[in-house]
Order: sequence, then C-alpha cells, then structure tokens
Amino acid sequence: AALSRRYVLCEVVSEDPRCRQCIEERAVGLAVRDAIGRVHGDYGLACCSISFTVKYLNAYTGTVLLRCRKDSYRLLCSALPFVRQLESRAQRYPCFLNTLHIGGTIRTCQKFLIQYNRRQLLMLLQNCTNEEERQCIQKSLLSCSITEEQSHSGDEEDDDGTE
Amino acid sequence: MARAEPPAATFERRVLRSAAEHHYLRVRLELPDGGARPSVAQFKQLVVSALRELHGEVGAALPVDVLIYEEKTLSAILRVISSGLVKLWSALTLLGFYQNRRCAFRVLQVKPCGGWMASPKRQFLLQGCLASWVLCLFIERWPKCKNVLVWV
Repeated sequence: AALSRRYVLCEVVSEDPRCRQCIEERAVGLAVRDAIGRVHGDYGLACCSISFTVKYLNAYTGTVLLRCRKDSYRLLCSALPFVRQLESRAQRYPCFLNTLHIGGTIRTCQKFLIQYNRRQLLMLLQNCTNEEERQCIQKSLLSCSITEEQSHSGDEEDDDGTE
Repeated sequence: MARAEPPAATFERRVLRSAAEHHYLRVRLELPDGGARPSVAQFKQLVVSALRELHGEVGAALPVDVLIYEEKTLSAILRVISSGLVKLWSALTLLGFYQNRRCAFRVLQVKPCGGWMASPKRQFLLQGCLASWVLCLFIERWPKCKNVLVWV
C-alpha cells in the first residue's frame, strides 16, 4: 500500500482511579505528542505528527488505539514509556502507558483486543478474593445482552474450571 | 592489435574490515556581533543544546566530543559516532541562536575515521598515551598475546 500506517494499541495504567476521567482523546494525544517532543525533539515530533491521531479510546478499560505513519512508528513507540501524566481540565494524574500490540490495520488490533480482554476477564475471575465478587462478575458476564456475545459467555463459563 | 573485450561490468562490493566508527567534523561558529566568545565548555553545551532541540533527549545523549577548540577563531574539531553524523550535522545546521545572539555553524570538513586519525599511533597520540600506542603495535604484531595482556 502506498500509504502505510501502524496502529499502536496501548493501555493506560494508573494507581489513581480518578485518572479515568482524564482519559480523553485530546488529553492522551497531547500527552503522547509532548513525550515525543521531549524524547525525539522537533524532528521526531514533526515526523510522528504527520498522520497521528487517537483512533479509539475506552475510558473504562483504559484502552487507547493510536495511529501513525509506518516510517515513524518506532519513534512513537520508543517515546510511549516517557508519558508520565495525563492532564485535562486543569487536573493531572500520574499514569503510564503499556504497549499491548502494534498492528498494520485496525482489524488486527481489534482481534488482538478481543482475545486480550477475554484473557483479562479470566484473570480477574481467578483473582477474585471472595465468592460474592465471583458471583457478581459471573452474573454481569452472563447478562451481556448482545446476541453474538451469548456464545462468548458460554465459552467463558466452560473455561473457568480449566484455567 | 585488437584487445580482448573487457568482461561485462560486474557488481563489485568492497567490505572494509573495519568500517569507520567515528566521523570527525571541522566546524566554525560564526558570531557576527563582537560579543563574548564561548569557552570550550559553553561550546560543548551549545552543541548539545542544538542536538536536544532538534533530536530531543535521544539526540542530546549522542556521544559527541570536542577534540580541539580554538577560542580566537571559534573553530573546533568534533568527533561523533558514525550513526549519529546525520543528527549532529543537521542539528548544527539548524542552530540559529547562541544566548539570543544570531549565530551560524559552518561545517568545513567531514572525515570518517579512515583518515589520518585512524592509525593507532594517531589515536593514542591524540589521547596523549604513547605507551598505549606501543602496546597496540605489540598486539598487532603478536595478536595471540591479546588474551594474555590486560588493558589498563
């Protein structure tokens, strides 16, 4: 393809639960751009900004999908560990970005994200400390109302015992 | 007498046993206003700040050495690792200000390590360690002694 892009999937990890309200496209975009500017200077900032956007954001899970040019995705990825805080509406919270996956299309990143979320749900279930939480999670999983997902929650129930 | 046709041009690739590790740049800083001249430390600081502006922290961390500096003429010989030559040269080219004074860097000469500076004798004379040069020659002559000798 003439115009190749790379999609970087990352997750925002923070100790402060109030950081979730800071997870917005503008805040994350600015934080990443600022980090690239610090680490790679004017040249790196200009290189990465050519086709840079935040394509998808999920404040509940802290998942962020960034897009950039294929020629400069290394600059972007090497600058992600230098993002230390998110700032929005005059409030800043410390956090860090965990890179989960780098893909050439949104579809590959979506496939990865589905698998990753599935694994995360299983881990959450394992790490439940008491029976109440366990019941709670199982109930909310089963109550997912999208018809496709019904078979999903059926699989997850089966996998409970084996994992 | 007809000469034999030269063979069709073939692709020839020469691999240097030791590709240039460092590049040396002869540069001159032009400060048109007659103000205070930077000392060698300020000069190095200027070079590093130019790298930081254009290439960020990664650029500023590039190992650049000011080997020779003349304050009168503001000319210097810089040494940089070969992979960082483009970053250094571009950063020097785009530097416009020194302490809010207009300035410009002129790059006069660039030479890879394979020049006169490469021979072990030169390297060590530059570092001022003749004994190490002798040691180096010794090791070149008897390479098996390399394992035995301990570099100080």
